Amino acid sequence: MAEQALEGSQPVDLTKHPSGIVPTLQNIVSTVSLDCKLELKSIALQARNAEYNPKRFAAVIMRIREPKTTALIFASGKMVCTGAKSEQQSKLAARKYARIIQKLGFPAKFKDFKIQNIVGSCDVKFPIRLEGLAYSHGAFSSYEPELFPGLIYRMKQPKIVLLIFVSGKIVLTGAKVRDETYTAFENIYPVLTEFRKNQQ
Amino acid sequence: MSKSSPCTYCGEASFIHDDISSELICSSCGGVQHLYSYRQRKLFVAQNLINEVTNPLGLSFKSSDVRSMISTITEGEFGQGEWFKVLIGACIYVVMRKEDRPLPMAEVASTIGIDVYEISRMILRVVDFLNLRPDFPEFDIVHLLERMIRNCSGCASAERNLIERMRKQGMFLIQCAVKWYLSIEWRPVPLVVAVLVFMVELNGVGVGMEELAKEVHARVSTCRARYKELLETLVKVAQVLPWGKDVTVKNIIKNALVGIQYMERNAMLKHGEKREEGLDQATVDLKDVVVECLRNDGEFEYGVDGMSKRKDSRYFMLESNAGRVGGGDSERQQISLECLSVLYKKFLDENNCAESLRGSGSAQKRRILQFDLLDKKLLLKYLLEKDVEVDTMSPSFVNGQLKCKMRRERINASMVRIKRIMHQSNADLADAEIPGTLDGSYPESRRKKRKGMVVDDVDWEDLIIETLVLHQVKEEEIEKGHYNTLLDLHVFNSGIV
Repeated sequence: MAEQALEGSQPVDLTKHPSGIVPTLQNIVSTVSLDCKLELKSIALQARNAEYNPKRFAAVIMRIREPKTTALIFASGKMVCTGAKSEQQSKLAARKYARIIQKLGFPAKFKDFKIQNIVGSCDVKFPIRLEGLAYSHGAFSSYEPELFPGLIYRMKQPKIVLLIFVSGKIVLTGAKVRDETYTAFENIYPVLTEFRKNQQ
Repeated sequence: MSKSSPCTYCGEASFIHDDISSELICSSCGGVQHLYSYRQRKLFVAQNLINEVTNPLGLSFKSSDVRSMISTITEGEFGQGEWFKVLIGACIYVVMRKEDRPLPMAEVASTIGIDVYEISRMILRVVDFLNLRPDFPEFDIVHLLERMIRNCSGCASAERNLIERMRKQGMFLIQCAVKWYLSIEWRPVPLVVAVLVFMVELNGVGVGMEELAKEVHARVSTCRARYKELLETLVKVAQVLPWGKDVTVKNIIKNALVGIQYMERNAMLKHGEKREEGLDQATVDLKDVVVECLRNDGEFEYGVDGMSKRKDSRYFMLESNAGRVGGGDSERQQISLECLSVLYKKFLDENNCAESLRGSGSAQKRRILQFDLLDKKLLLKYLLEKDVEVDTMSPSFVNGQLKCKMRRERINASMVRIKRIMHQSNADLADAEIPGTLDGSYPESRRKKRKGMVVDDVDWEDLIIETLVLHQVKEEEIEKGHYNTLLDLHVFNSGIV
């Protein structure tokens, strides 16, 4: 509870976030190995919260309410967990799924847990001239208004993909630790201010 | 005729290529030769496919460039089948885009007979494979407008001068639309259609939106939406005119030319002040447009030649005095003042056409004199106080700001409710001391915002915000609106292991 309170009420650390803006983590994707072969049909028949349609997708889709996540469970014993809002949530959810598999009679373990992708978003609170940004950062930018209204910015270091919209909303994806997301945003923020549309 | 190995039937070495059957035929005995290898036939078929795609797009002159690009990508092997047609279309798009003459993806996709997203994936793959990204030109919406005007079948019957005038006006307007964020958040083709529809209406060319949209494979409903937004923005822009308050969506067509002229003149003046080299191309276009528009004023008191000559001389004087501060300002104000006066009189004359017909000659002169005096005073004040440029914000940005503001109001209301519950007796006293200020204003503003609907004071969003406030979530976080994330992190305790 104390950690939760601190996380909720702590002011922005300007040494870590010079822009004063902290991206909000929206989705965590993680993987884990249960280290045993699984009978997907058996799992689907026994578990209440499982979907299995082998003609459509070769994995059982299982959901739990707390944390609210979705897992893809493959016959090889590999599992993908999506939908968590923090790293701790993702790990907790993965453990819960593993526990469910154990209760179904499989000798499941919890090996090689890894965060594969972190998606964050934030709002810089000013409109952005995407044409200018695409022109001056052409090596990293892809702006195709015929296909997608946002500019796709592929940052090299850290290796993060940013979706930049004219409204000032930013989506950051591809991070494996949250600091990569924060660093990527701090790197792009001066660029965005350079191409901001001043509000009267 | 071409010479090759001797004929397999008669031994002669004289052949003719049949374009219809794509076969080599001996000119002596008519025997069909089978001398092409598999590779030669594949290359021949590939070239035919390239021609089959480029010709309907009117780009047969780019066939060799497309072939060269495909040869590079496939290492000279080319290909066959449907995927190869997709590759041809993608290369056509990339070739034209590299020359700053983009084609709409929808047009290329329609020519090939595939979905636009399928060809878009191939286009991106071609760009990545050839490593064109750093120098790949951006999508040029202005050139797209020019291309549409040039290829418009409905405009073919119009006069050449009229087409040129439309092109110049359209170029100016489309660049303004880009500045006004009308082209950023949606696909560019419907906006180009909207601008072109506006131009044909302005110039009296009989072409409908459905026809134009069909030619570029754009959805008519989307074009109508862009057209409506364009009109609304132009009405907003027209507010800078002295009679701007009288301009509406219905009469914006009548005032459009006046507004465009005014913006152009001010753009020229500001360019003269800045002297930026980067605007040379734009300057040329604007200059041409201004000169063209000035020629339309021949019906005024001055003769056509005199009017044109005098205005040109003033323009040159303005340019020569651009470096000076005092005299230049005076000259610029005079020019703007006079131009505005002429335009204003034109507007009033059009509106009072019936009345002026009934009046006598002397009455008309007196009316002109009165307007002249009034115009000078009004316009002088106008020039000193206002700026012609209209800076509009992105609609999505504005909507985002409004949502944040609304969430802020909800947060404040939640805090008031929490405080009232925690200190019930004090809250009652506060209500007695300040009647209506705590409870009355917010529900009323809520009801005003939702016209025609009677809703409770508290809805699901208020409850969520109140829950988050009780869990000590930062107000800045709540303003962002990511409720699911905040609930998961702070309310359901799932983040704590």
